[in-house]
Amino acid sequence: MSRRLWARIALYLTLGVILLIAMFPFWWMINTSLKQQADIFGGATLYPHNPTTANYSRLFNTYHFADYLQNSILIVTVSVAVSLVLGTLAAYPLARFHLRFGLNQSALVVALLVRMLPPILLVIPFYIMLGKWGLLNTRMGLILIYSCLNTSFVIWMMQSFLAEIPRDIEEAAMVDGDSRLTALRRVVLPLAAPGLAATAIFSVIATYNDFLLALSLTSTPTAQTVPVGVSTLIGKIQIEYGPMAAAGVVGAVPIVIFALLVQRHFVRGLTLGAVK
Amino acid sequence: MSDHSSERTTRSYTRKEVIRGAAGTGAALGLAPILAACGSSSSGGSSAGGSSGGSGPITIGSFSDPAMVPFRDVFLKKYTQETGNVAHYNETNYDAWYQNSKNDGLQKTGAYDIYVMDDNWVPEFAASGIVQSMDKLGLKVNPDILQKGLEQGYWPPKSGPRLKAFASDTPQLYSLVIIDDVEMLYYNSDYFKSAPKTWDDIYAVAKTTKQPLYGWTARGVAGNPIVQTYLPLLNSYGGNFVNDDWSPGFAGPEGVGALERLFSFIPYMPSGVAAFDTDQETALFLQGHATAMTEYTGTAHGVDDPTVSKVVGKVDFAATPSQEKSGPAIGTFICGIASGAPNPAGAVAFLEWFTSSKVQQEFAGGGSAAVTGSALRDAALSKKYRWLPAIADAVDNSVPKPKTPDEPKMEDLLGTALNQALVQAISQKSGYQQIAQSHLTTAANQITAYLKQQGTYF
Amino acid sequence: MLLPAGIALALVSIYPLYYGVRASFTHYLYGRDLGFDGLTNYRIIWNDTFFRSAMLTTLKYVVCTVSIETVLGLGLALLVSREIKFAGPIRVGLILPMTIAPVVVGVMWRLLYDSGVGVVNPIYEFFGLGPPDLLAHNNTAFAAVVLVDIWEWTPLIFLIILAGLQSLPEEPLEAARVDGAGRLRLFFDHTLPQLRSVLLVAVVLRTIDAVGTFDQIYVLTKGGPGDATRVISIYAYNTAFLFTQFGQAAAMLVCLLVMLMLLMIVAVRLLRRVSA
Repeated sequence: MSRRLWARIALYLTLGVILLIAMFPFWWMINTSLKQQADIFGGATLYPHNPTTANYSRLFNTYHFADYLQNSILIVTVSVAVSLVLGTLAAYPLARFHLRFGLNQSALVVALLVRMLPPILLVIPFYIMLGKWGLLNTRMGLILIYSCLNTSFVIWMMQSFLAEIPRDIEEAAMVDGDSRLTALRRVVLPLAAPGLAATAIFSVIATYNDFLLALSLTSTPTAQTVPVGVSTLIGKIQIEYGPMAAAGVVGAVPIVIFALLVQRHFVRGLTLGAVK
Repeated sequence: MSDHSSERTTRSYTRKEVIRGAAGTGAALGLAPILAACGSSSSGGSSAGGSSGGSGPITIGSFSDPAMVPFRDVFLKKYTQETGNVAHYNETNYDAWYQNSKNDGLQKTGAYDIYVMDDNWVPEFAASGIVQSMDKLGLKVNPDILQKGLEQGYWPPKSGPRLKAFASDTPQLYSLVIIDDVEMLYYNSDYFKSAPKTWDDIYAVAKTTKQPLYGWTARGVAGNPIVQTYLPLLNSYGGNFVNDDWSPGFAGPEGVGALERLFSFIPYMPSGVAAFDTDQETALFLQGHATAMTEYTGTAHGVDDPTVSKVVGKVDFAATPSQEKSGPAIGTFICGIASGAPNPAGAVAFLEWFTSSKVQQEFAGGGSAAVTGSALRDAALSKKYRWLPAIADAVDNSVPKPKTPDEPKMEDLLGTALNQALVQAISQKSGYQQIAQSHLTTAANQITAYLKQQGTYF
Repeated sequence: MLLPAGIALALVSIYPLYYGVRASFTHYLYGRDLGFDGLTNYRIIWNDTFFRSAMLTTLKYVVCTVSIETVLGLGLALLVSREIKFAGPIRVGLILPMTIAPVVVGVMWRLLYDSGVGVVNPIYEFFGLGPPDLLAHNNTAFAAVVLVDIWEWTPLIFLIILAGLQSLPEEPLEAARVDGAGRLRLFFDHTLPQLRSVLLVAVVLRTIDAVGTFDQIYVLTKGGPGDATRVISIYAYNTAFLFTQFGQAAAMLVCLLVMLMLLMIVAVRLLRRVSA
């Protein structure tokens, strides 16, 4: 018995240490964001001796962070929603029908290809594209780009989720008089919901965190997103560590809250078959 | 898994509702700004009105920098008060702004009237037609502006080597300097009885320092930062970044001597200096841990600010130390008018206003590095801000960097070699001459090869 | 059904690819398109020592990060997959690093590593060692950057493998255990083979992303000291946007893409053979 107890203790201890390693940088960032400028350089301390919220107010007053937050949340919500719809609609026939010319395979390969392109390759072509359509430095432009990019990921994920669901269920609904689309909506989607959730989660994270594309395709706070906002604090001449840390915290908080709310679905969704 | 299907159908209701709800809100949220975005123009604020006659709003874009703070917070409002014209302002970080302004100019998207630029963007922006000629727009230059600062804005350059294609062109003004950013020596008067004049003076004091006090600190990051550390040394030893025929001028005895001098400070510099940039170098100095450093004028503001400086009232300024002469590098914040600007006349009016002697006097009144001689050498202001006359002297002594769109690449090549030389010197602790010579020669060869490859020089 | 998604995908894959490939064969001087140039750009970069070292650095980086992350992620998943209390919160804590924007991660670790404000130097001094100045020496800077990547992305591998573990059938495992097989035998003979496809998915995903790493390295070291951490995406970025050599940058990215595609083909073949 006691050997088992030791094993248990060792297990929890290890996990504890790992958790500490995972969380410590967060703490350090929060710590720095609450320190005054002179204290930051004065010597490393584990907690702020003279805490101040000045860094945060600087962020929102001088550095337009309210705009960045707003833009990010809006852009992410819309583009993920659009890509979920488009992607699932496309994933369905890929999962159900056997198309000619080996289209199933090639469609999946193309979807994967999009994921593979290094972001830098995309920057200039997208810049020119959006420029031609007058969508530079607009939220609409970013939404367009992100929707398209996410769609590929959605197709890839949802295709395997949908393939998991047995055909008889929709066949039954169609026999009862539903059209295929209605059957899809009423019967199949609810069953695929965990997969949708997992896909949505990954898409949200990837879109919110995108830096390079947002940096290149926007130039003012009307359309810039939070990661770009964080980078404005890494100036050429001077890094203001306090506000930079505060910016990091503000950049991380929405995602952390989101992750906390949906963490159950992460593993759940993946378990139900995406991992093929 | 199939056992759970009934579970699923009951629980799936809520999930479906959630997804629907989210999609619905998302669509609703999305619709409003989409409509708004369709309505307004895609540019960041320059609305349609008034592109003629100098009236009407203008849009200025810049990179974030402490030196731009008074411009952004005080003088734009002043302009509106005095002339009734509105000046919109946007800033983002340095790299992003370089990309954005260049793209805006190349594609002529017209989001901005004025680009605030770093001086080494001028050759590229002028040669590629990203900014337009101010002479052609009829801008009248204030003769009070210090010459060497003004000359940073001419293309082709008035002095120094030129690109083959522009060899016989008449220099025109493509950008106007608004802030004289130039290198100076910052020193802590606690450790120097009088203003140090030569590198030997600095070394003499450095030798007496004991940690945590350092005799010298520098920017060591590969690329542009370490080149800024090296240039005052190189110039003072009589070397050049490039000679008049575009051959590198730093791989000879002057350049090697200059680098060896930097290495001689190694025992008195922080060991992490090879990863230092302006923020670390300045922080060290302002915490009172370094006796002297060379830096651009932008940092002068903070020396008497108690929230960041522990050496209030102790910092003095002088020309960068000399060997044969003093040779600070000059930077400048410099404004170009976008070639796709919606309101060029308004941009000209603004720039003439900002560089007028009266406004520059007020600008210097806040401690900023004004561009006019009268403001920088004003007796009353000099008492209040002791760095102003030092800036004027530094500008007059300054040595410009090579004027070519390839300058960033040249700085990158030289800067990478310098950084590696520094890292090696720090770990080896000896053989400085050989380290300096081999790295500098490598950089010289790489730069020559690159220039040959570009085909626009020889 | 497929059409809208198809258009979206074509937009973000075909156009950038076409543009990138075309640019790699074009001669650009100071941003101006001067016409078709054949293989000149490729010749130039193959002779460029910095390009070759960037490819090598990227390869080193990918191999180090992906291999270590896979091993750690596997270990973590095995630890957490048992019956433990607080499984939910532990999982959340462990996946947090991967949800944060890489830019913010760069900022966080900059705050830790920086010799002026960070926590690393004081730790070393506490143990009586000299200041390590991690970011100021070539080898330590590379290790430092690799460490950040491991911190950030091990959670992803952990998550994927965990999902895989939880969907493994119980019976073969039980049968073997009843037969008296030891823990290690159990793992290597039963669990690991069944996890192979999951592992491959994780490795493939991570490799694709690791090759394009940009954000956090850029914030931490900008590629320095020297070019010790200058991965191909940073060099291509500088080449395109700092040195205005669009043609050469495009050629670099095409080379990168080819390398990635080769990796992918190998991985997909392996996956097919294994899961058949």
